[in-house]
Amino acid sequence: MVMEEDQKKFVIPIGPQHPALKEPAHFELTVDGETVTGATARLGYAHRGIEKAVESKNYTQALYMLERVCGICSHVHATAYAIGVEQLQDVTAPPRAQAIRVLVAEMERIHSHLLWLGVAAHEAGFDTLFMFTWRDRETIMDALEALTGNRVHYSANVIGGVKFDVTPEHVTSILRAVDFLEERTNHYMDIVNNDAVFLQRTRGIGVMPKEKAEILGVTGPTARASGVTRDLRIDAPYSGYDNYTTEMILDDRGDLEARFAVRVRELFEAYRIIREVLDNLPPGDLTARIKRRINEAETVSRIEAPRGELFYFVRSNGSDQPDRVKVRTPTICNMASVLSLAVGHQLADVPMILVGVDPCFSCNDRMIRVKRSGHDHELFTWDQLRRYGIEYYQRKVR
Amino acid sequence: MSAANVETLLKEAESLLAEWTTQTNTPEPNRLDIWLEAADVVPAMAALVEARWGYLISITGLDFPKEDKMEAIYHLGSGAAVLGLRAALDRSAPTVASVCHLIPSATLLEREVVEMFGVTFTDTPDTSHLYLPDNWPDDVYPLRKDTKLD
Amino acid sequence: MVHNADSNGNASNLDIPKPWKDAIDQFKTWARLNSPWAVHFNSGSCNGCDIEILATITPRYDVERLGIKLQGSPRHADVMVVTGAVSLQAAERLRRSYEQMPEPKFVVAVGSCALSGGAFQGCYNVVGRVDEVIPVDVYVPGCPPRPEAIIYGIAQLLEKLKTPATPSDDHGGEPE
Repeated sequence: MVMEEDQKKFVIPIGPQHPALKEPAHFELTVDGETVTGATARLGYAHRGIEKAVESKNYTQALYMLERVCGICSHVHATAYAIGVEQLQDVTAPPRAQAIRVLVAEMERIHSHLLWLGVAAHEAGFDTLFMFTWRDRETIMDALEALTGNRVHYSANVIGGVKFDVTPEHVTSILRAVDFLEERTNHYMDIVNNDAVFLQRTRGIGVMPKEKAEILGVTGPTARASGVTRDLRIDAPYSGYDNYTTEMILDDRGDLEARFAVRVRELFEAYRIIREVLDNLPPGDLTARIKRRINEAETVSRIEAPRGELFYFVRSNGSDQPDRVKVRTPTICNMASVLSLAVGHQLADVPMILVGVDPCFSCNDRMIRVKRSGHDHELFTWDQLRRYGIEYYQRKVR
Repeated sequence: MSAANVETLLKEAESLLAEWTTQTNTPEPNRLDIWLEAADVVPAMAALVEARWGYLISITGLDFPKEDKMEAIYHLGSGAAVLGLRAALDRSAPTVASVCHLIPSATLLEREVVEMFGVTFTDTPDTSHLYLPDNWPDDVYPLRKDTKLD
Repeated sequence: MVHNADSNGNASNLDIPKPWKDAIDQFKTWARLNSPWAVHFNSGSCNGCDIEILATITPRYDVERLGIKLQGSPRHADVMVVTGAVSLQAAERLRRSYEQMPEPKFVVAVGSCALSGGAFQGCYNVVGRVDEVIPVDVYVPGCPPRPEAIIYGIAQLLEKLKTPATPSDDHGGEPE
């Protein structure tokens, strides 16, 4: 990739595709010089047609499909859907099942935040931190596998409860994992707060004012990093979260640094909640009886996923198949807000701003179309834009 | 959030929207559904935005071919309270005004309903495909009940 | 290939099954002579397989010590690692990316979706099988397969390359 600053020209080696062929770019950015003047998203790369498909599956088959909407936050999808279907028939999962759902959810939050921290570090050019976080993340993956039988797609949920129990051996191994990770997370906190090179990419960048975050419907750590007090585990507790103390992790700075700080602090909070859950596991059944056919009804289920609010609207029609399942992921609104945020920022900041909302990790093939005023569209691969950002800041330091 | 809080929030929403409400329902203790005419969606949303009542979570399309109608549900959340603004749409030309001038992030929500149900959101800034491929046939709306895609 | 938890419910990767150990040893020899560069292509997956593929370059699995380098461009790749059920949008890009790879080139399909569409078989926006779009040499089943299984799949591929005339009849071969 060659950039000739004086001529404000941009010559980009072509990605996997020929430039003349129309390409569904994932993000389209308009820039004037180095400044972004417009941004929009074009998704669909992983669109499979799940909402349509579940209308011709029974409620249990739909569970397996919805769990696989996302490999990173599979448990919250399954939990949101299972709770929704239980609500449709006025059933509540037994207390022990609810506690296990919370346990797995917090373990998932840990794996997701560590994954994100590593990916975000990689975006900033910090590959050592990426390697450390993903090495440490294996600890929680082991614990999840020991408890649920799988590293990814735990399938903890059934409609009515959970599939497996927590044994004393599980408790020991999970607590040991949490102790280790808590110690490691102190190290990450230090980097996020104090590392000069890291702060250069995060401090004061991508500021989202509180009022904007509120009205745009931003949720999760992205919202809390702008001082917005939204956390469904506290505001609208589900699955027995009101039995535990969950602290609202807030930051009033609203910049990328705040988004990093909030997620690292949430890791500490997750460790604490897990210890509380394991200390207070209620006895009893793992599942409640459910019906195969569900009378006509509608329900809403809202879950605090690692990325923010996961919203499910489920409608039954008297048969054994759902009439409608609407899935609204947290990334949709967070992404929209961040696109409006990118305007006014440097092109070099875009990778970090986008990663700051923790969009679902994707492949190297995410394409970005950049339109410079007076020029034709140019196509960046995600990796090219990432490297552009790193090199930009390296030049700044010199 | 306490039950009293939820009740207060929902009562507040109900009174804010009273002049446009044709029907209400409380399907679950923390939820209020309000039906209104499609033409009143924008003023209703403007009233909620001005009062800073919660945030727009989702716009859901529903299709009822047997009743020859569609429905757009705007779900808003404030704490544990969930409000559903529901407008029936004429199935042959389902149209409702866009709320993007009030809530810019709604563009992604509206785009999805446009391509999945064929609803027209008047003055919505972007009608390009969000999820469907570029070469998807124009008049095929996947989530309509009578669209067979096997 | 499945790694079972031991009787205490702990996943154990200290007791490496012999077939895998053998494959890794043969692989090390091959890799010393040929260092395959791999490119990763997500054709529309849930990211479950992709994060396990990414995990292979992280310290616990450290696939780079075996000589495999995960890099960005198909133009420099010997092996393409594909995930996902191939969304309609991705199909053409997948084909084109494959065409950009220089010969000799090989494809490893990772995960149930890439093999058969997985949970999304029949969904309106998926093709359903990677091998309907490009030829596949190795299929690694799982939802998702664990990093060891993915490495094993690539090791099987490289083993297959050493003896091209011998049909592969073990785990790395095509599903029946």
